[in-house]
Amino acid sequence: MQTVPVTKPAAPARKKRSSVRVVPQAIINIVLTLLVFLTLVPIFFMVFSSLKSNAQILGNFWSMPSPPQWGNYGEAFGAIWRYMVNTVLYAVAGSGLVCALSAVSGYVFAKKVFPGKETLFMMMLAMMMIPGVLTLIPSYVLYNGLGLTNTPWVIIIAHAAGGQIFGTFLCRSFMAGVPTELFEAARIDGASELTIFARIVVPLSIPILATLFIMQSVGIYNDYIWPLLTIRDSDLQVIGVGLTVFENQFGIKNLGVQFAAYGLSSIPLILIFAFGMKYYIQGMTQGALKM
Amino acid sequence: MSLRSRIAVFMMCAFICTGFLPMETALGNAQWTLDEPDNITSLSVSEDGSRIAVGSYGAKAYSFTAEGQLQFALEAGNVVTGVAMLSDGSLLAASDDRHLYKADEQGRLQWDLNVKRQVKGVSASHDGSVAAYIVQGSTNVAFIDAETGETIRETDIGIAPKRIRVAPSGSFTAAGATDQYVYLIDADGGIVRKMGVTGTVEAVAAAEDGSVAVGTSKNEVVLFDADGREAGSYPVKDAVTDVDVSGDGSYVAVSDYLGGIYVFAREGKLLWTTEVDGAGRAVAFNKDATALYAGTGSGTLHAYDVSEAIASAESGAVVRTVAWTIAAALALALLILGLLWMKRRRKLGVLRDVWRAKYIYLALLPTFALVFVFLYYPASSGLFHSLYDWNPGGRTTFVGLANFERMLSDPYVTKGIGNLGLLIVTGLAKTLIPPLIVAELIYHLRSKKTQYWYRTAFVASMVIPAVAGLLIWQNLYDPNVGLFNKLLAFAGLPGHAWLGDPDTALWAIIFIGFPFIGILQLLVFYSGLLAIPDELIESARIDGAGLWRIIRSIHLPLLAGQFKLLIILSLIGIIQDFGGILIVTGGGPMDSTYVPALQMYYAATIFNDLGYASALGVAMFLIILIITVINMKFLKTTHD
Repeated sequence: MQTVPVTKPAAPARKKRSSVRVVPQAIINIVLTLLVFLTLVPIFFMVFSSLKSNAQILGNFWSMPSPPQWGNYGEAFGAIWRYMVNTVLYAVAGSGLVCALSAVSGYVFAKKVFPGKETLFMMMLAMMMIPGVLTLIPSYVLYNGLGLTNTPWVIIIAHAAGGQIFGTFLCRSFMAGVPTELFEAARIDGASELTIFARIVVPLSIPILATLFIMQSVGIYNDYIWPLLTIRDSDLQVIGVGLTVFENQFGIKNLGVQFAAYGLSSIPLILIFAFGMKYYIQGMTQGALKM
Repeated sequence: MSLRSRIAVFMMCAFICTGFLPMETALGNAQWTLDEPDNITSLSVSEDGSRIAVGSYGAKAYSFTAEGQLQFALEAGNVVTGVAMLSDGSLLAASDDRHLYKADEQGRLQWDLNVKRQVKGVSASHDGSVAAYIVQGSTNVAFIDAETGETIRETDIGIAPKRIRVAPSGSFTAAGATDQYVYLIDADGGIVRKMGVTGTVEAVAAAEDGSVAVGTSKNEVVLFDADGREAGSYPVKDAVTDVDVSGDGSYVAVSDYLGGIYVFAREGKLLWTTEVDGAGRAVAFNKDATALYAGTGSGTLHAYDVSEAIASAESGAVVRTVAWTIAAALALALLILGLLWMKRRRKLGVLRDVWRAKYIYLALLPTFALVFVFLYYPASSGLFHSLYDWNPGGRTTFVGLANFERMLSDPYVTKGIGNLGLLIVTGLAKTLIPPLIVAELIYHLRSKKTQYWYRTAFVASMVIPAVAGLLIWQNLYDPNVGLFNKLLAFAGLPGHAWLGDPDTALWAIIFIGFPFIGILQLLVFYSGLLAIPDELIESARIDGAGLWRIIRSIHLPLLAGQFKLLIILSLIGIIQDFGGILIVTGGGPMDSTYVPALQMYYAATIFNDLGYASALGVAMFLIILIITVINMKFLKTTHD
């Protein structure tokens, strides 16, 4: 396993370094602001257009939305709320399962000694090297054969099975950093394994589990191909597929409503990032760097 | 590094150990043609299977023996819309010439009923005790005495029926109506219930217990059980033209416009399928569903022996149980041998350790159950079936490397590989250069707070769901209301259908996400820069190194690990990704934006060619594996 250092330098070092910088701050600020603006253009454009009617978009493309068509959001909500609720439920269930499975196996692989431990762990790691393209079609056939397609389980189980590999990995390296003496002490005090897990392992793992939960939720919320392949019933469909179907629902495309739907579909992600941006960034960098 | 090679060994072992039970069936079949190449409209098989009645567009009703010998042909004045073969060899035929005919087993006309309207269909129980027909412009299902042709009773279903079928014993009659409902009528002529489907009803069939199979224009057959609940639905490739159901309702036969003929088990498993030239028009089982007859749009009648497919469905479970038992016995034998060996070597202490750790294994059980069933099994199944013409539940035949050979001559794949090459080159540039520049810029900001704000601002672009982001970009490219063409118009330049022109579509896709500040890449580079010891830069500066020199000689070499990681991750990502293309262009216009992964998806979903799709998946897997191995062996950095 290659490792790349990700440790942040201590505070005093930073002060010293700033003295050696020569690049004019104004230029950096201008360039970065421009890049941020360009990156966010689609979002600005989405918000701007979501408040216009078709006539306003077609007739006067550049003008401000006047009057703003707030009704677009109501209409869009009526069309996609079902997909959003479905996806959020799948995300919570799937991520919850991943966290539960990963916490257990992460702890076991980090702190327990038993025959076949290395072999079993290796079997999990090996799965990290299997790309999705190899398993996509056979998985579909398997879930179909088990009668799981077109049920919520096809999403939840698929994400639980795949996500726990990464999760176990994450939890294991996190747990490895917890001193073993802590568990020994509890054991000497007469705590059972279950107590140790519930009272020590889980509370200690909260940060890593939060990271895992958020990573998985974002992953499930952004999923497109798998639900497209496995869910037929529009009552069970997820937001990713729902947004593309929604586009074809009207004979004449109502562009404003469409953009309003894109905006609404962002709300769960906005909430996740508002509360858990730190965890997400942690998970992303750790996940990438530990591979 | 040895860790990775051990992983490879583990994977191979796992694939070899996973059991497979390929199912292969050889089916006899025969075919014969009508005297003129006409659309076959309907089929009916007698109870003993000795005679087959065929109705044709060319205004004839034929009676054949099971061997394909013509017994007689009854001439009508217009299209024969339905036939019913009774057990005594006599034949009922309905025609658009407004007559209902009955011929005896010699082909002599017994009676001829003028109903004054076009007769749209006729069906009868084997013994003729229940015979029903429907006519144009009437909401009635009429029941007649097959001996005399006299109407016994009529059932008004309230809407015009378009398809009619009586169960083999006459216990139920199913009438498919123009309102997307199927009405089930019992032996006394009372309506039992109606069952709705999506799409228009194209065909119906009823079993003894009141199960009803309904073929729809939505490329689907729905089976309702004896209580009217949906018991299964079976997707086919095109609009359904005819269905039949075995007497006990266990098997459903379907024909579709594309010429596909299918046999499904009740629970939804595809047991058998074949393709005929031209449209499939009509299907009929014999009594015990061992033989299947299918009529085509060109007047060909096929007789298939499906007994093996059906039998395999029934015995499949048994065979599998036997195979698993043998496998389990073998495993047990190996285990015992291993134990004996261990005993001789005095290594039984391991077993004690295993027993002591039983709760640990129990805790890991859910994890590994999921890993084996939902990860290892599909992966090995994909590797395995890439060598097969794979029809899950149906005929799966070994084809060797044919799927891989086909890939080389598949124009979509070759075109896709070219496109993928371009996507990889541009993708690597997009992945590495802009995030590195931004990371350097942020790194050189003096204020820590500003650094934080810029990072957050870039990460903010992630709040849009990936699909919504793609759809917004698709809209930006819109030839009429897209931002790009409006900007061009603003500057007085002509617009362009960016995604609609094969020459620009791929570049338009590449440009999606401009200015390509990938969050992961940005964060990786940024934390890499922060990790560079200040002393290095300090001393370089004392030696008189300028900014560019520091970036070139210190930053870039020390970021080698990050570069390597991001290159591998994006190579693997780009080869596999087709979601964006699927959403934005679907591979078009023409083949201009195809990639191999997209062709894999289409092979599986549109063409139902699962073996070929698996082979494409395996090919991409191998390429990714090679990239990973090269990465491990040759691109070693100081960090390893």
